[in-house]
Amino acid sequence: MRRRTAALAAGTAAVMVLTGCSTMSPGADGTVTLSMVESLTNPARTDLLEKLIADFEQQNPKIKVNLVSPPTEQADQKIQQMLQSGSGVDVLEVRDITVGPWSNNGWLYDMKKDLAGWKGWDALTDNAVAASEDDKGRTYFVPYGFYGLSLFHRTDLIEQAGFDEPPATWDELLEQAARIHDPAERRYGYAFRGGANAHSNATAAIEAYVAEKIDPANGYRLKDGSTIFSAPEALDAMETYLKLFRQASPKSSVAWGYPEMVEGFSNGSTAFLLQDPEVIATVSESKSIDKDQWSTAPLMAGPSGKTVQPLATAGWGVADGSKHKAEAVKLVEFLSEGEASTAFTKKNSLVPILKSAAQDEFYRTGPWASYVTMTENPDTYLVVTQPRGVAWWAEWQQRADTDVQKMVLGKLSPKELLAGWDAYWTEKWKK
Amino acid sequence: MSTTSRPDARTAPSVRKEGAPPGRGTAGGRRRREFTTRRGLVIAAFMAPAAVFVAVFTYYPMIAGSQMAFRNWNLTDLTDTSWVGWKNFTEVFTDPAWSTVVDNTLLWVVGSIVPQLVIGFAIALWLRRRFRFRGLYQALIFFPWAISGFLIGILFRWLFNSEFGVVNDLLQKAGLIDEPVAWLADPQTAMTAVLIANVWYGVTFFAIMILAALQSIPDELYEAAALDGAGKARTLFRITIPYIRVTLALTVLLRVIWIFNFPDLIFGMTGGGPNDETHIVTTWMIKITQQGDYGKASALGLLVVAVLLVFAVFFLLATRERRGGRGTTERGARA
Repeated sequence: MRRRTAALAAGTAAVMVLTGCSTMSPGADGTVTLSMVESLTNPARTDLLEKLIADFEQQNPKIKVNLVSPPTEQADQKIQQMLQSGSGVDVLEVRDITVGPWSNNGWLYDMKKDLAGWKGWDALTDNAVAASEDDKGRTYFVPYGFYGLSLFHRTDLIEQAGFDEPPATWDELLEQAARIHDPAERRYGYAFRGGANAHSNATAAIEAYVAEKIDPANGYRLKDGSTIFSAPEALDAMETYLKLFRQASPKSSVAWGYPEMVEGFSNGSTAFLLQDPEVIATVSESKSIDKDQWSTAPLMAGPSGKTVQPLATAGWGVADGSKHKAEAVKLVEFLSEGEASTAFTKKNSLVPILKSAAQDEFYRTGPWASYVTMTENPDTYLVVTQPRGVAWWAEWQQRADTDVQKMVLGKLSPKELLAGWDAYWTEKWKK
Repeated sequence: MSTTSRPDARTAPSVRKEGAPPGRGTAGGRRRREFTTRRGLVIAAFMAPAAVFVAVFTYYPMIAGSQMAFRNWNLTDLTDTSWVGWKNFTEVFTDPAWSTVVDNTLLWVVGSIVPQLVIGFAIALWLRRRFRFRGLYQALIFFPWAISGFLIGILFRWLFNSEFGVVNDLLQKAGLIDEPVAWLADPQTAMTAVLIANVWYGVTFFAIMILAALQSIPDELYEAAALDGAGKARTLFRITIPYIRVTLALTVLLRVIWIFNFPDLIFGMTGGGPNDETHIVTTWMIKITQQGDYGKASALGLLVVAVLLVFAVFFLLATRERRGGRGTTERGARA
């Protein structure tokens, strides 16, 4: 009896230890199970992905896919831990801000050879093809869409303030927003981004001001090799940007992140908002403003009449530790072409990766039209690769966000801010 | 008494079972040792799963994490994770934000715990009385403790929003302010706002613990005090507080450790901003982790463990003396 009890206890211990070490291996009938992890999770998106996966499984009966959906805030860290452990993930969502460090650590698989004969390449836009390769020609992810800025604006407030058109330049934005701004009436000109990711809109302004001199391969570099922050136009940009805060934005926007900015626009109190296309869906559901009271306009230009589209992207990649790379690449191909890609970009309000979308009525009308305008006029709305893939991007973001807050709180002048940013990037590029 | 009789009761049947004649102590003793070894093995086998689990999932990560503090461990580039000695610690201490972080942490702990204790005590005293719907009130008051700190942070971020928040709206309607206060946009008011939120959140725990302790005070003590003519204040300071001293001390100890280690609320509410001026040690550690610098973050983590260990040891020593004091008070009160 006692021996049996001891054996039972030892067995339990062994099972507990062994279950922790088990890995997914092909089933007896040759079925392969892939583990797929998403990063920018939300419930509607997860439902959609599950539907797309079901279609994929139907077309490939020997492949099963388990979708893992960690909460967005911790998702990239969870994925990092999974990648570091070397197992448990086959297909994953790779963002332009994570591809640098993850590929640097050897965690991502270069799909270049596997995708060499893929028929889907011809259907992709030039932007999508360009974004699928890094500077050394390696393919660590195929983008599923783009996030690009456009100017959400209140057509009625602009008209009441005596203007015919939404602003086409940053100076016009300052003028219109300042005239509309009236805190006593709880009406604000511009939804200033001072909280998380504050630097992104500040650098968008700088890039617009230096558009003619910018290096298309690196949005933070001028053609002469120096940083965009060292250009005299950058100072003009930051001074205008600071005025936009002081003369046209709510005081508390020092701390505004994405939720406050979008709320400020959709509750009808703020006239201008610079945001990604995913906000179209949120604003469309607003009960405070009707659809004839707002629209989007292309990103504002600098003094030269040109601007830079600061496109951000993400896509699907394969983990280097995956034991089923061929099947994993097959899933990436499936998600990056045809119906699956169209459904994903439309339902997630993304700038599409397929050329065919430009003819789609969905993208040609209403708030989406400004994105088509920008895509069809690459001479005015320059496509420039942002250096978001560098290993130090997360460090830069945190530093730059704090600097923008310091500037609007009056603890750092625009000149000091730019000098600091210039020194930071010059130093990083030297290494 | 029972402890001494137990071994005899156990050994006796086994000796009889083996058929050994009485009086052969050595043989019986050997058998007892064999028996003990086997029994020990069974116990060890039963304990093994838990021990393995704790070792693998608690101690291994802790030790592995600790060594990161002495290495160049940056997630953005793990190709060089060489030993760097105390460099990560030096970087923590020489960071310009360090003094603000330390000041904020002290303010965060003291500024949260004192109001929590006072208000929690008052609520517990109030809930001790019998009145209609007392159970309902108790449930309502304890409710915040069931909500996640991060969620509370997000809720308060909206409540304190200058333009769309309820707090400014109420203050304006009550005529206390003329124009909206930009609570989270100014480092001073942002710190006040996070403290208000934390006091609201943590009062509950004090109320729960103190109420449980209060219910253990015998009613006869209060009756005797009333007969002796003791007033409310005298009863509070001479009977109630001395009787629940240990609970109070242990609750304060626990809360100091928890509040010190509670970045959720600040993270949800201000993210450490504006201008990094509402960071406490643990939110700052998260910020560094997000930058990928696990080496520096681990150094900070070890510092937190060290500070809390020292605090816990001193506090426990202090409360052990007090416990002796309580005994005297109790005996005095009973007499």
